[in-house]
Amino acid sequence: MELYLYLALFAPLAGSLFAALFGASPRIKIAGIVPSFLLFVSFLSSTVLLSYILSGGEAVHVEMMTWMATGNLYIPFGFVVDQVSVTMMMVVTLVSTVVHIYSIGYMDHDKGFNRFFSYLSAFVFSMMVLVMSDNFAGLFIGWEGVGLCSWLLIGFWYHKESATWAANEAFIMNRIADLGMLIGIFLVYWNTGTLQYNQAFAAMPNLDKEILTWMGIFLFIGAMGKSAQFPLHTWLADAMEGPTPVSALIHAATMVTAGVYLVVRANPLFDLIPNVGLFIASLGAFVALFAASMALVNRDMKRIIAYSTLSQLGYMFVAAGLGAYWVALFHLMAHAFFKALLFLGAGNVMHAMHDELDPFKMGGLRKAMKWTFIMMTLASVALAGIYPFAGFFSKDLILEVAFVENHYIIYSVLLFTAGLTAFYSFRLVALIFHGEERYKLFGIHPHEAYKFMLIAMSPLLILAVIAGSMKMTYFEMIVNLLPNHEYHIHSHLTFWIMTIGTQLFVIAAIAFAYKKYANSNVKVPDGTSKIENCLYYKVLSNQYYIPYAYEEYLVKPYRELSSVLWRHVDMKVVDATVDGIANIIYTTGEKTRDMQSGNLSTMLKWMVAGTVGLLSLAVVFGLAVRYSGEIKLFLSGLGVQ
Amino acid sequence: MLDHILSILIFFPALAAMFGFIIHKDSIRAYGVVVATIEFALSLWLWFAFDSNVSGMQFMEQLPLVPAFGINYILGVDGVSLFIIILAAFFTMIGIASLTDTKDVKNMIITLLFLQMTMAGVFVALDAIVFYIFWELSLVPMLYIIGAWGGPLRIYASVKFFLYTFAGSLVMLVGMLFMAYFYYQATGAWSFAILDWYRLILPESFQLWLFVAFFIGFAIKVPMFPFHTWLPYAHGQAPTIGSVILAAILLKMGTYAFIRFSLPMFPDASVFFMFPIAILAIIMIIYTAMVAYAQEDVKQVVAYSSVSHMGVIILGTFALNVEGISGSIFLMIAHGVVSGALFLLVGVIYDRRHTKMMNEFGGLASVMPRYATIFGLMMMASVGMPLTINFVGEFLSLLGFYQQSHILTLLAGTAIIVGAIYMLAAYKKMFFGVVTKEENKNLSDVNSRELIALVPLAIITVWLGIYPKPILEPINKSVESIVQLMHDKSTTQEAKSRIPNLIKGVEITRTSSEEAH
Amino acid sequence: MEIGLNHYLVLSTILFAIGLIGVMRRKNLLLLFFATEILLNSVNIAFAAISHYYGDLTGQMFAFFVIAIAASEVAVGLGLLIVWHKRHGNIDLDYMSTMKG
Repeated sequence: MELYLYLALFAPLAGSLFAALFGASPRIKIAGIVPSFLLFVSFLSSTVLLSYILSGGEAVHVEMMTWMATGNLYIPFGFVVDQVSVTMMMVVTLVSTVVHIYSIGYMDHDKGFNRFFSYLSAFVFSMMVLVMSDNFAGLFIGWEGVGLCSWLLIGFWYHKESATWAANEAFIMNRIADLGMLIGIFLVYWNTGTLQYNQAFAAMPNLDKEILTWMGIFLFIGAMGKSAQFPLHTWLADAMEGPTPVSALIHAATMVTAGVYLVVRANPLFDLIPNVGLFIASLGAFVALFAASMALVNRDMKRIIAYSTLSQLGYMFVAAGLGAYWVALFHLMAHAFFKALLFLGAGNVMHAMHDELDPFKMGGLRKAMKWTFIMMTLASVALAGIYPFAGFFSKDLILEVAFVENHYIIYSVLLFTAGLTAFYSFRLVALIFHGEERYKLFGIHPHEAYKFMLIAMSPLLILAVIAGSMKMTYFEMIVNLLPNHEYHIHSHLTFWIMTIGTQLFVIAAIAFAYKKYANSNVKVPDGTSKIENCLYYKVLSNQYYIPYAYEEYLVKPYRELSSVLWRHVDMKVVDATVDGIANIIYTTGEKTRDMQSGNLSTMLKWMVAGTVGLLSLAVVFGLAVRYSGEIKLFLSGLGVQ
Repeated sequence: MLDHILSILIFFPALAAMFGFIIHKDSIRAYGVVVATIEFALSLWLWFAFDSNVSGMQFMEQLPLVPAFGINYILGVDGVSLFIIILAAFFTMIGIASLTDTKDVKNMIITLLFLQMTMAGVFVALDAIVFYIFWELSLVPMLYIIGAWGGPLRIYASVKFFLYTFAGSLVMLVGMLFMAYFYYQATGAWSFAILDWYRLILPESFQLWLFVAFFIGFAIKVPMFPFHTWLPYAHGQAPTIGSVILAAILLKMGTYAFIRFSLPMFPDASVFFMFPIAILAIIMIIYTAMVAYAQEDVKQVVAYSSVSHMGVIILGTFALNVEGISGSIFLMIAHGVVSGALFLLVGVIYDRRHTKMMNEFGGLASVMPRYATIFGLMMMASVGMPLTINFVGEFLSLLGFYQQSHILTLLAGTAIIVGAIYMLAAYKKMFFGVVTKEENKNLSDVNSRELIALVPLAIITVWLGIYPKPILEPINKSVESIVQLMHDKSTTQEAKSRIPNLIKGVEITRTSSEEAH
Repeated sequence: MEIGLNHYLVLSTILFAIGLIGVMRRKNLLLLFFATEILLNSVNIAFAAISHYYGDLTGQMFAFFVIAIAASEVAVGLGLLIVWHKRHGNIDLDYMSTMKG
């Protein structure tokens, strides 16, 4: 099994390096095909590992080599394939294989084709390190690695100011969270003496509750950055500046779920500190609602999907926070499939519309893009959680978890958000594919994407439809590692009322979205309509003015303070002090050189003055020595030692 | 020959420099490269012959100089100094190899070889006076390099560099003389040998004064806030090769001396001053990072980033445990490699455009893709990306200090945030966007001479990031002996508790004997 | 009234002060030599007086040394003075400023 592990891990790296060989040369197809093939190899290896684990095999654990060893610290490059990591591996390799193949078509005309595949495969490698590592330091390697690749890929079109800005924003915001993560790792090391998961978790029950709480908090801060939880969420929407396959892979399916993965992986820790867990769940619920509300009015197709991702991450954190780790992981998996599908569909639409992102300028595309229409609709249905699609099984389960654990506020927030989710998803679908063909006003002739791109997307489509049916198999596998909680609502009546009620609510939301946006009256908003000038709309479409506030109250002051520190403190205080001392010495010399006038008479006068000065000093010291006893007595009377 | 390899390492470049005066101008470059390569090979041989299972000094040499005052020519190398010596030889080599066409190339190469002698001398000297001589001698070639090949403000910068560091060194010299005097009082014999001084246990009040005296000399060299202002001028005016050597090696003298002198000689004072110094280090990290962000000149960004990183090194040193000190030594190497490479990279663009102002550039990624790639790699190393060399050092330094203080480490950890801010901003200004300036449209990418210097550095950066063991192991061994020495020597209760005892057996027997009662 | 040690010392001090003021105030090199002689001789008086007071001949011997040194000093000094006068035509101190720093 070790061979498959190494194959799964290093095939993407090989792909990345292969593509990097062509980094500076003009576009060449093979730079896309080989990495895709290698990723497929990685996917197959993961599948082998999955079937091995599913058939009840022991977790595969290898230690490749030492990384750092000093003092008591020992960090190896160790990798583990167990129930949790194999789930993540499957998600990562499957989605990234699809995205790679899709990208061969999508990036067809881009000058940076080779570079793109190098980055993308490097990302997959980092992500695999992240999920397969058997210690916190290895996790951190992957953690930073995906951050780096995310930076490279968001800023892929580096000539665009907005793209590079977004890339830097994402990197720096993640860094803020990474600091928390790093502190969490330090806490783990100094309290358990190791960074290996199994040993560290084994030592944790004996630790002080307070220390564990801090550990949980700092590790979760790390998770908040990667998973873009409030207040570090702004980078995710801006990250949509990157190419769409990147958004599908990194900012929907894999990297942003790393935070959830961390909480799931650290479940022995979070089980010991339910208070932190509750905080995570509450924050998750808040983010779910918060992000969904911003998606309601947004006029950027990709941003809507990004907010939807954010909202779904909130759901996952609710489940993880409440101790339902396997539910979180299950939703993570299902979400990866339908969200990646949604993004890739959006990519098709973007291509067809010549990079137009405003859904109000589209409309009626279902005729021109039949397959994309079907895929995006089904993905939206899955996202909305309609039976029997994937979202129903995973998302409703989270609602049940909240209900069973008696967190009714969280439950109602999530329920309400489910309605919002259905509404904004179908608002998007309706605006893009139904109604008048508004794009004709802009003289665009849309066309369907390449066939192989559509075929590449189809595994995701299938999984988005059927992933729910794997629930029980998955449950049986994962409980070997994660806490075994089955969430059943005890009364059958309540269960049915809840399930059917939720379904009806969601369907109503969908119907409302269609009614409002699928008709022929939809116009391209021009800022004059009543709703656009109402306060709520403005607050929501400006994302609660949070990016503005960050810019105004954090970025600008930082910039100004830096400038002040340089120009005024460093130059005018610190450096001027040094120069001042030098100047004092210099001017003293300049002034006293008059003594050396060369005039014998003056010099004789100075000589006399010096003699008198030295003689008087001799007298003073002589007296001081003679009366030292009295002087000491006098000084001690003054309180001086 | 192996018995005298350290002397050879010191005096071979010096003799070669003398001989260089009679070499013809056209062949001096080849001559310099050959000499520096031999020197580097010698240093590699030193590494090869070095026994990493021994914690003490190796290849010791001793020659009496002034026996009446216990001044001897003592050399030796351990895990702490070994890699800095190799790094110095390496940078001299690639520095000469990648030297661009400057005026008086002959003088430059002779000066560099002379500088190599002083650098080797500082790191192998085990006698305070010999150390001091090399320490001060190293100023002269650098003064000459900045003063003769520098920018418009070169005289001001070089004089400032010289006087500032020289003034600090004088205070250090006074400290050394006092230390020798105390040794004389305690033992009745004069000695300037550092290893003798290690054995001297001083009362805490003496330690405090001596620590301060040594601190001033070292802190200016590092340079620590608020003694850092000579550095931006020196870097700003120095030619590329000067900046590279200054940042890569000369700054390390200060941090190296902290580990060689301050920690083992004054363990109680080190504990006493741990928090004040940590606070200074944190100010260094955050403050200079912000100042770096405000810079308009890319070389100044790198210069200030050096100060910021040196803060992390200081912090790791004063963690006073094996993790932290090993990390700080590793970070010295790492910072040497990365900042040296960054200065070389700045030199590359300066050679082409004769400006270092960032707003003169923009969009270079499309004009010079290879340059952008190497710069990007080094930038990521500088911000501490895992699997690059810097991360290992930074991680271990911060990890080490976390044992001493949680809050201060949290503050110091902002290094990874503020570092990313100025570096990414600078990178964005230079490489991203569209090419707006006409002059930038036809810039040539890095040529083979520049690649000679940059590619090895890039390889080291990644290789030691993934596999730091060959370096970390010898360092670890030597650091363990230093920490144990500090623990044994410390007199105050506080110091005993702050500095870990590495001999586990003692504790176990104590607890078992307690259980027996 | 008997002449005691104090009288000699007071005389010595007065002479020393006169010599010192002369050294400081005079601009003429020749007069400067006079003032120096007064200084030296004031010290000689003090030496001789104290020597007599303690009954120790060392002081008087020292006075002889001083006289010898003063004589040689004047000899050399006057020689230099004459050379200077020949070359520059004056012996005013204010014109001797070639050692200006």
